[in-house]
Amino acid sequence: MSKKNSLRAIEKKTYMFYHQDGLLDIFIGIYVLLFGIGISLMTFTDFSTWFVIPAIFPAIMIPIWISAKRRITMPRIGYVNFGVRGVNKMMAIFIGLMVAGLGVFMVFGLGASMGEGWALTLRDFFVSNSMLIIGIGALSVSSIFAYTMGLKRLYGYGLLIFVLFFTGHFITIPLEYVLLTIGFVITVSGFVLLMQFIRKYPLPQGDEINVQESV
Amino acid sequence: MTQLYVVESADFLFLQHQLQMTPGNLSTHLSKLEKAGYVEIVKEFIERKPHTALKLTKKGRDSFKEYQQKLKQVFSNLPK
Repeated sequence: MSKKNSLRAIEKKTYMFYHQDGLLDIFIGIYVLLFGIGISLMTFTDFSTWFVIPAIFPAIMIPIWISAKRRITMPRIGYVNFGVRGVNKMMAIFIGLMVAGLGVFMVFGLGASMGEGWALTLRDFFVSNSMLIIGIGALSVSSIFAYTMGLKRLYGYGLLIFVLFFTGHFITIPLEYVLLTIGFVITVSGFVLLMQFIRKYPLPQGDEINVQESV
Repeated sequence: MTQLYVVESADFLFLQHQLQMTPGNLSTHLSKLEKAGYVEIVKEFIERKPHTALKLTKKGRDSFKEYQQKLKQVFSNLPK
Protein backbone atom coordinates (compact mmCIF):
# COMPACT_ATOMS: atom_id res chain seq x y z
CA MET A 1 0.00 0.00 0.00
CA SER A 2 1.42 3.41 -0.95
CA LYS A 3 1.87 6.19 1.63
CA LYS A 4 -0.99 8.18 0.07
CA ASN A 5 -3.30 5.17 0.31
CA SER A 6 -2.33 4.62 3.95
CA LEU A 7 -3.24 8.20 4.82
CA ARG A 8 -6.51 7.79 2.93
CA ALA A 9 -7.21 4.60 4.88
CA ILE A 10 -6.58 6.39 8.19
CA GLU A 11 -8.85 9.25 7.10
CA LYS A 12 -11.62 6.77 6.20
CA LYS A 13 -11.14 4.93 9.50
CA THR A 14 -11.52 8.25 11.34
CA TYR A 15 -14.79 9.08 9.52
CA MET A 16 -16.06 5.55 10.17
CA PHE A 17 -15.18 5.76 13.86
CA TYR A 18 -16.86 9.13 14.33
CA HIS A 19 -20.08 8.10 12.56
CA GLN A 20 -20.48 4.65 14.14
CA ASP A 21 -23.05 6.09 16.60
CA GLY A 22 -25.93 5.74 14.10
CA LEU A 23 -27.11 9.35 14.57
CA LEU A 24 -26.57 10.11 10.88
CA ASP A 25 -28.67 7.06 9.95
CA ILE A 26 -31.49 8.06 12.33
CA PHE A 27 -31.74 11.54 10.85
CA ILE A 28 -31.51 10.36 7.22
CA GLY A 29 -34.11 7.68 7.99
CA ILE A 30 -36.52 10.19 9.58
CA TYR A 31 -36.01 12.52 6.61
CA VAL A 32 -36.96 9.78 4.12
CA LEU A 33 -39.90 8.77 6.38
CA LEU A 34 -41.18 12.37 6.29
CA PHE A 35 -41.21 12.30 2.48
CA GLY A 36 -43.17 9.03 2.62
CA ILE A 37 -45.62 10.46 5.19
CA GLY A 38 -45.97 13.67 3.14
CA ILE A 39 -46.81 11.82 -0.09
CA SER A 40 -49.23 9.56 1.84
CA LEU A 41 -50.99 12.62 3.28
CA MET A 42 -51.25 14.09 -0.20
CA THR A 43 -52.66 10.84 -1.59
CA PHE A 44 -55.14 10.07 1.18
CA THR A 45 -56.13 13.48 2.58
CA ASP A 46 -55.36 15.91 -0.23
CA PHE A 47 -52.86 17.71 2.02
CA SER A 48 -50.97 19.38 -0.81
CA THR A 49 -48.59 21.49 1.30
CA TRP A 50 -46.85 18.35 2.65
CA PHE A 51 -43.54 19.38 1.11
CA VAL A 52 -43.19 22.01 3.86
CA ILE A 53 -42.46 19.19 6.36
CA PRO A 54 -39.27 17.82 4.73
CA ALA A 55 -38.30 21.34 3.65
CA ILE A 56 -38.10 22.68 7.22
CA PHE A 57 -36.76 19.39 8.63
CA PRO A 58 -33.02 20.17 8.13
CA ALA A 59 -33.41 23.57 9.85
CA ILE A 60 -34.91 21.88 12.91
CA MET A 61 -32.88 18.69 12.90
CA ILE A 62 -29.34 19.97 12.26
CA PRO A 63 -29.14 21.78 15.67
CA ILE A 64 -30.65 18.65 17.31
CA TRP A 65 -28.07 16.44 15.53
CA ILE A 66 -25.20 18.68 16.70
CA SER A 67 -26.58 18.64 20.24
CA ALA A 68 -26.97 14.82 20.15
CA LYS A 69 -23.36 14.51 18.93
CA ARG A 70 -22.23 16.71 21.85
CA ARG A 71 -24.24 14.80 24.47
CA ILE A 72 -23.96 11.21 23.21
CA THR A 73 -20.90 10.82 20.99
CA MET A 74 -18.31 13.30 22.25
CA PRO A 75 -18.32 12.28 25.93
CA ARG A 76 -17.81 8.66 24.87
CA ILE A 77 -15.30 8.73 22.02
CA GLY A 78 -14.10 12.32 22.00
CA TYR A 79 -14.20 15.06 19.42
CA VAL A 80 -12.60 15.42 16.02
CA ASN A 81 -12.66 18.38 13.68
CA PHE A 82 -12.20 17.21 10.09
CA GLY A 83 -11.33 20.75 9.09
CA VAL A 84 -11.84 22.74 5.94
CA ARG A 85 -10.29 20.01 3.76
CA GLY A 86 -12.74 17.36 4.95
CA VAL A 87 -15.76 19.65 4.65
CA ASN A 88 -14.61 20.87 1.24
CA LYS A 89 -14.31 17.34 -0.07
CA MET A 90 -17.88 16.51 0.98
CA MET A 91 -19.14 19.82 -0.39
CA ALA A 92 -17.29 19.20 -3.68
CA ILE A 93 -19.01 15.82 -4.09
CA PHE A 94 -22.40 17.28 -3.13
CA ILE A 95 -22.08 20.31 -5.41
CA GLY A 96 -20.71 18.11 -8.23
CA LEU A 97 -23.75 15.83 -8.01
CA MET A 98 -26.15 18.80 -7.84
CA VAL A 99 -24.56 20.49 -10.86
CA ALA A 100 -24.58 17.22 -12.85
CA GLY A 101 -28.26 16.65 -11.99
CA LEU A 102 -29.24 20.24 -12.80
CA GLY A 103 -27.24 20.09 -16.02
CA VAL A 104 -29.11 16.99 -17.18
CA PHE A 105 -32.49 18.54 -16.30
CA MET A 106 -31.63 21.82 -18.03
CA VAL A 107 -30.45 20.13 -21.23
CA PHE A 108 -33.56 17.95 -21.42
CA GLY A 109 -35.87 20.73 -20.22
CA LEU A 110 -34.57 23.19 -22.81
CA GLY A 111 -34.58 20.55 -25.53
CA ALA A 112 -38.12 19.50 -24.67
CA SER A 113 -39.41 23.08 -24.50
CA MET A 114 -37.94 23.76 -27.94
CA GLY A 115 -39.79 20.72 -29.20
CA GLU A 116 -36.62 18.77 -30.02
CA GLY A 117 -37.56 15.21 -30.88
CA TRP A 118 -34.63 13.60 -29.07
CA ALA A 119 -35.31 15.59 -25.89
CA LEU A 120 -39.01 14.71 -25.94
CA THR A 121 -38.17 11.04 -26.40
CA LEU A 122 -35.66 11.19 -23.56
CA ARG A 123 -38.10 13.09 -21.31
CA ASP A 124 -40.76 10.43 -21.94
CA PHE A 125 -38.16 7.76 -21.21
CA PHE A 126 -37.26 9.46 -17.91
CA VAL A 127 -40.90 9.86 -16.89
CA SER A 128 -41.85 6.27 -17.69
CA ASN A 129 -38.70 4.87 -15.99
CA SER A 130 -38.47 7.35 -13.10
CA MET A 131 -38.51 4.63 -10.41
CA LEU A 132 -35.60 2.82 -12.09
CA ILE A 133 -33.65 6.05 -12.61
CA ILE A 134 -34.16 7.20 -8.99
CA GLY A 135 -33.04 3.73 -7.80
CA ILE A 136 -29.86 3.80 -9.91
CA GLY A 137 -29.21 7.44 -8.89
CA ALA A 138 -29.61 6.66 -5.17
CA LEU A 139 -27.33 3.63 -5.48
CA SER A 140 -24.67 5.75 -7.24
CA VAL A 141 -24.88 8.65 -4.75
CA SER A 142 -24.77 6.42 -1.68
CA SER A 143 -21.87 4.44 -3.18
CA ILE A 144 -19.88 7.67 -3.75
CA PHE A 145 -20.46 8.75 -0.12
CA ALA A 146 -19.78 5.20 1.16
CA TYR A 147 -16.45 5.11 -0.69
CA THR A 148 -15.41 8.63 0.32
CA MET A 149 -16.36 8.33 3.98
CA GLY A 150 -15.52 4.63 4.36
CA LEU A 151 -19.05 3.99 5.72
CA LYS A 152 -19.76 0.55 4.28
CA ARG A 153 -23.36 0.48 5.50
CA LEU A 154 -24.18 3.22 2.96
CA TYR A 155 -23.59 0.59 0.22
CA GLY A 156 -26.27 -1.49 1.95
CA TYR A 157 -28.72 1.43 2.09
CA GLY A 158 -28.01 2.21 -1.58
CA LEU A 159 -28.68 -1.41 -2.52
CA LEU A 160 -31.91 -1.47 -0.47
CA ILE A 161 -33.14 1.70 -2.19
CA PHE A 162 -32.20 0.31 -5.59
CA VAL A 163 -33.95 -3.04 -4.98
CA LEU A 164 -37.15 -1.35 -3.70
CA PHE A 165 -37.32 1.17 -6.55
CA PHE A 166 -36.40 -1.53 -9.10
CA THR A 167 -39.16 -3.82 -7.75
CA GLY A 168 -41.52 -0.85 -7.51
CA HIS A 169 -41.01 -0.14 -11.21
CA PHE A 170 -41.95 -3.65 -12.32
CA ILE A 171 -44.78 -4.51 -9.93
CA THR A 172 -45.97 -0.90 -9.45
CA ILE A 173 -45.51 -0.28 -5.72
CA PRO A 174 -46.70 3.25 -4.80
CA LEU A 175 -43.81 5.66 -4.15
CA GLU A 176 -44.99 6.44 -0.58
CA TYR A 177 -44.74 2.76 0.45
CA VAL A 178 -41.23 2.52 -1.00
CA LEU A 179 -40.15 5.68 0.89
CA LEU A 180 -41.81 4.58 4.15
CA THR A 181 -40.04 1.18 3.96
CA ILE A 182 -36.64 2.75 3.22
CA GLY A 183 -37.05 5.37 5.97
CA PHE A 184 -38.18 2.77 8.49
CA VAL A 185 -35.26 0.39 7.76
CA ILE A 186 -32.64 3.18 7.92
CA THR A 187 -34.12 4.65 11.14
CA VAL A 188 -34.29 1.25 12.86
CA SER A 189 -30.74 0.38 11.81
CA GLY A 190 -29.65 3.79 13.16
CA PHE A 191 -31.24 3.07 16.55
CA VAL A 192 -29.63 -0.40 16.64
CA LEU A 193 -26.24 1.19 15.91
CA LEU A 194 -26.86 3.80 18.62
CA MET A 195 -27.68 1.10 21.20
CA GLN A 196 -24.55 -0.86 20.23
CA PHE A 197 -22.48 2.31 20.42
CA ILE A 198 -23.76 3.26 23.90
CA ARG A 199 -23.09 -0.31 25.13
CA LYS A 200 -19.62 -0.42 23.57
CA TYR A 201 -18.53 2.99 24.84
CA PRO A 202 -19.94 3.69 28.30
CA LEU A 203 -19.53 7.18 29.72
CA PRO A 204 -16.09 7.55 31.34
CA GLN A 205 -16.25 8.10 35.09
CA GLY A 206 -14.83 11.19 36.85
CA ASP A 207 -11.26 9.86 37.25
CA GLU A 208 -11.08 8.73 33.64
CA ILE A 209 -12.06 12.21 32.45
CA ASN A 210 -9.50 13.92 34.65
CA VAL A 211 -6.69 11.66 33.50
CA GLN A 212 -6.70 13.61 30.21
CA GLU A 213 -5.37 16.55 32.15
CA SER A 214 -2.09 14.78 32.82
CA VAL A 215 -0.83 15.87 29.38
CA MET B 1 1.28 12.46 14.13
CA THR B 2 -0.34 10.57 11.22
CA GLN B 3 -3.72 10.61 12.92
CA LEU B 4 -3.54 14.36 13.57
CA TYR B 5 -2.25 14.95 10.03
CA VAL B 6 -5.49 13.73 8.41
CA VAL B 7 -7.73 15.98 10.55
CA GLU B 8 -7.75 19.63 11.63
CA SER B 9 -7.82 18.84 15.36
CA ALA B 10 -8.93 16.12 17.76
CA ASP B 11 -9.19 15.73 21.50
CA PHE B 12 -7.32 13.45 23.87
CA LEU B 13 -10.15 10.94 24.22
CA PHE B 14 -10.56 10.58 20.47
CA LEU B 15 -6.84 10.00 19.92
CA GLN B 16 -6.75 7.51 22.77
CA HIS B 17 -9.53 5.44 21.15
CA GLN B 18 -8.03 5.68 17.69
CA LEU B 19 -4.51 4.74 18.75
CA GLN B 20 -5.57 2.18 21.39
CA MET B 21 -3.10 3.64 23.88
CA THR B 22 -3.30 4.06 27.64
CA PRO B 23 -3.75 7.68 28.84
CA GLY B 24 -0.31 7.70 30.47
CA ASN B 25 1.42 6.39 27.37
CA LEU B 26 -0.36 8.86 25.09
CA SER B 27 0.41 11.75 27.47
CA THR B 28 4.14 10.92 27.33
CA HIS B 29 4.14 10.84 23.52
CA LEU B 30 2.19 14.10 23.29
CA SER B 31 4.44 15.89 25.79
CA LYS B 32 7.50 14.98 23.68
CA LEU B 33 5.79 16.10 20.47
CA GLU B 34 4.76 19.36 22.15
CA LYS B 35 8.34 19.99 23.33
CA ALA B 36 9.56 19.43 19.76
CA GLY B 37 7.02 22.01 18.58
CA TYR B 38 5.07 19.52 16.46
CA VAL B 39 1.83 19.46 18.44
CA GLU B 40 -0.21 22.25 20.00
CA ILE B 41 -2.07 21.30 23.18
CA VAL B 42 -4.99 23.49 24.25
CA LYS B 43 -6.49 22.84 27.67
CA GLU B 44 -9.96 24.21 28.25
CA PHE B 45 -13.19 23.58 30.14
CA ILE B 46 -16.31 22.62 28.21
CA GLU B 47 -19.46 22.57 30.33
CA ARG B 48 -17.28 22.53 33.47
CA LYS B 49 -15.41 19.44 32.30
CA PRO B 50 -11.68 19.47 31.43
CA HIS B 51 -11.01 19.09 27.74
CA THR B 52 -7.69 18.70 25.94
CA ALA B 53 -7.67 19.69 22.26
CA LEU B 54 -4.73 18.70 20.06
CA LYS B 55 -3.59 19.85 16.65
CA LEU B 56 -0.46 19.70 14.53
CA THR B 57 1.48 22.95 14.35
CA LYS B 58 2.74 24.26 10.99
CA LYS B 59 6.18 22.93 11.90
CA GLY B 60 4.62 19.54 12.72
CA ARG B 61 2.71 19.40 9.45
CA ASP B 62 5.77 20.41 7.40
CA SER B 63 7.97 17.90 9.21
CA PHE B 64 5.43 15.14 8.59
CA LYS B 65 5.33 16.00 4.87
CA GLU B 66 9.13 15.92 4.75
CA TYR B 67 9.19 12.57 6.54
CA GLN B 68 6.62 11.28 4.05
CA GLN B 69 8.82 12.37 1.12
CA LYS B 70 11.92 10.81 2.64
CA LEU B 71 10.13 7.55 3.30
CA LYS B 72 8.84 7.51 -0.28
CA GLN B 73 12.38 8.06 -1.55
CA VAL B 74 13.75 5.24 0.62
CA PHE B 75 11.16 2.79 -0.71
CA SER B 76 11.62 3.87 -4.34
CA ASN B 77 15.39 3.33 -4.03
CA LEU B 78 14.99 -0.25 -2.81
CA PRO B 79 16.08 -2.92 -5.34
CA LYS B 80 13.14 -4.79 -6.87
